[in-house]
Amino acid sequence: MTRGLLWKVIIILAVLVGFAAAMIPTNDNPEPIRRGLDLKGGTHLVMRVNVGDAVRLETDQGAEMLKGQAKKANLPIPTTRRVNDTTFVATLPADTPTTEYERIGKDFLGSFDVSRTPDGAMQFKMKTAQQTALERDTIAHTVETIDNRVNALGVTEPYIATEGANRIVIELPGVDDPARVKDIIKTTAQLQFRLVEGEPGSTPDAALTNVPANMKTEVDVLPGTREDALGRASGIEYYAVRKTVPVTGTDLKNARVQKGQLGQPNVGFSWNPEGARKFGDLTGQNIKRRLAIVLDNKVVSAPVINSQINESGVIEGNFTPQQAADLALVLRSGSLPASLTTLEERTVGPSLGRDSIRQGVLASLIGFIALILAVLLFYKGAGINAVLALLLNLVILLGMMALFHATLTLPGIAGIILTLGMAIDSNVLVFERIREELREGKMVRAAIENGFSRAFGTIIDTHMTTIISALFLFQFGTGPIKGFAVTLLIGLFASVFTAFFVSRVIFDVVYKSQNRPTEMSI
Amino acid sequence: MQIFVNSKYDFVKWRFYAVSFSLIFMLLGLAMFLKHGVNWGIDFAGGATISLRFKDAVPMDRLRADLSAASIQQYGKATDNSVLIRLPELSKETDYAGQVVSKLNADLNPQTSTKLDLNFHGRDRLTELLASADPDAKGSSPAARDYYRNIAQNIVTRRSELGVFTNMSQVTSAPGVTTRIAGFLNDKCFLGAFNVLDQETVGPQVGHDLQQKAIWAVVLSTLAMGVYLWLRFDLMFGVSAIACIVHDVLMSLAFLMMINGEFSLNIVAALLLIVGFSINDTVVMYDRVRENKRKLKTRMTLEEQLNLAMNQTLSRTILTSGSVVIVLVALLIFGGKVIHEFAWILLVGVLAGTYSTVTIVPAVAIAWNNLTGRKHDLSGPATRTRIEPRQDVPPPQRKRKAG
Repeated sequence: MTRGLLWKVIIILAVLVGFAAAMIPTNDNPEPIRRGLDLKGGTHLVMRVNVGDAVRLETDQGAEMLKGQAKKANLPIPTTRRVNDTTFVATLPADTPTTEYERIGKDFLGSFDVSRTPDGAMQFKMKTAQQTALERDTIAHTVETIDNRVNALGVTEPYIATEGANRIVIELPGVDDPARVKDIIKTTAQLQFRLVEGEPGSTPDAALTNVPANMKTEVDVLPGTREDALGRASGIEYYAVRKTVPVTGTDLKNARVQKGQLGQPNVGFSWNPEGARKFGDLTGQNIKRRLAIVLDNKVVSAPVINSQINESGVIEGNFTPQQAADLALVLRSGSLPASLTTLEERTVGPSLGRDSIRQGVLASLIGFIALILAVLLFYKGAGINAVLALLLNLVILLGMMALFHATLTLPGIAGIILTLGMAIDSNVLVFERIREELREGKMVRAAIENGFSRAFGTIIDTHMTTIISALFLFQFGTGPIKGFAVTLLIGLFASVFTAFFVSRVIFDVVYKSQNRPTEMSI
Repeated sequence: MQIFVNSKYDFVKWRFYAVSFSLIFMLLGLAMFLKHGVNWGIDFAGGATISLRFKDAVPMDRLRADLSAASIQQYGKATDNSVLIRLPELSKETDYAGQVVSKLNADLNPQTSTKLDLNFHGRDRLTELLASADPDAKGSSPAARDYYRNIAQNIVTRRSELGVFTNMSQVTSAPGVTTRIAGFLNDKCFLGAFNVLDQETVGPQVGHDLQQKAIWAVVLSTLAMGVYLWLRFDLMFGVSAIACIVHDVLMSLAFLMMINGEFSLNIVAALLLIVGFSINDTVVMYDRVRENKRKLKTRMTLEEQLNLAMNQTLSRTILTSGSVVIVLVALLIFGGKVIHEFAWILLVGVLAGTYSTVTIVPAVAIAWNNLTGRKHDLSGPATRTRIEPRQDVPPPQRKRKAG
């Protein structure tokens, strides 16, 4: 064996060992080739973040700010009306000069452009830059919150990413109860503490009857659960709660499941210093009144305040252990700044994944063995060469997938065997050329030499065309299809290496050791 | 084993029959299309699919009554008790499949409000229930939680192996389940009517986006291929290659129409693969034409050049297509329902690709050559050679060693 050839053999062995090592599971990396959701079971979700929610909230807060500042400055309080997500109109009492309000707008509502409507009202429109920034923050905050929640659920290797302007893609491998996970992800978890006016009623109107006349426009009627004497849920009850929200869940420090006196689960929470101050003020000034704990616009409970509370409190409701645990989890992970809409869901249960992988692997194995037999039948000695190249191709392909952390999907398995079909094509091209050269009476070494060099251009062309289609597949595909495209691309590069370099070296090793070989098994 | 050594088939002669055959095949596909329309899968049409595996015989009447808009099909072996529920497109974005599953759960499992359904819920809910009741008196430490989570995981894994629990002894025989836990499970849990194997929802917006993307992907990759071959070879072959790809894709689509298969994302992937793969035969053949042009200094018409190259590459074409077909047939027979239609379409596409290389490509190339003043004929010495250039070298007499 010449020095050059020896080096080539060493390179091939190094490649073989290197990629094989990448495939071996270790303690740190028990699953080197990640299985896709279709094989492992799990949930793929595409959600739209309704960024309009956050924008609308900002506009509403702007209107409240205008009114609050007007009150502080002893000015007549304007009536405000939101025209669309970004704009509100403030109507002043007749003959009121607008200069003072414009000053408030300049000092406190910097993110709005102020103009006049034809009928003399003031129009506040959110600046475009402000809106864009707000939407961007909303998306980022949503991703972060979902990430917190998913991690708290103990999902291993979740994938969360934004897609396009306002979509989020969430992949949760191995999740076996998708309904619950979706609930946890989608709960906005906006926690509010609001004072109750009057007594609860069984209809919205009944709840309003007890409200003092001057407060009727200052309250929202929200539904809650009625409890019987034993604390069991027994229907819906309505509460009139004040529109102003003195304390929200944003100031929570922690939340966890506790057991109540009767052993029923409830959720205890504690405040950060800012929250403790606000909550202390609220409870201190309103002893003996009802305080509604509102979660996503539903009254969870409305206990009577017995004494001032600063540091911590308890949310009691009719919780099952799971509900209490889930509520504590979403409160800890923070609220979503906007609601989510499910655009796409694909959930594969673990048993289906098991079936798919069994069938996929079986089909691939049978196809692979049939391929090997066909090659050996057609090319005899050279067939062994092709099979060695094919096996190395498979090792490179799987090893590469492990290194790139590519995901193996069901179409991906089909992609692997199709790639092996392509790899065989390269060998076939070379071998047919060698046969032609031999038929023309060339010596073995010359035939091999010419066979490889003549087939080279063709092999590059056939690979290029398939690479082009794989790139389009990657560009447009989602989930499993993308995995398939990646497998195909890796396999194509591997097949150029094995069919061209490895196969050649094997022939060289076999025939260069003979002095002037005259026979070739092909 | 060698096949098609020195074959001299006159492929070019058959091209009109071949074109007619392809046209008839495509027209049949078109007729099926006009009759049934496209059977869009939920990837493109939007809507939802749900696969359920029932514990006992499938309550078909109940399902039909509950879900009047859905098409419900039993699949697999009759003893599998599995159904595929397909729900039509919605105009609004909602969690469609999830809502239907909860509705079915409420209808078919009335106990679900008081007890935990072991065929429906996952590990976490079971862990929570066990840990809060603590039948084995492990306390409330994190270790106790892990203990119960482990048992819950074993039970869910057992369910995954079985597909669905049919009696409680299957649950209580899972590893780690103690007598006390078994008693607790018998008391507080029940086996619901079904286990959800998979559920998919595609909203109308996503479906529309995917449809657009799929069409662009197929059209653009076909054009890219044509441009590549135009640059590598010449305009005539760029054009005939595009014709060949369009042919292969249309044949596959016609076949899909004939079996009334579902047009899904996987089918688009198969079509893109056909675009990339079936063109290979054409590339190999045309490579030969170009090589012969350089080597042979004889006068040859394009028809003769094409015939020569097709015969020279015939054994390679058959061997390669044959090995891919072997693999695809294995996928088709053993691959399971998920890749069944995918494998069919690929198979038809690969066969169409092989066949179009020796029929459609020459037909288009020759037509193009005739239209452009026969620029692609070779002018050489006046004596015209027949298409057997390799016959002047006698085949070497050599013994061949058996493999």
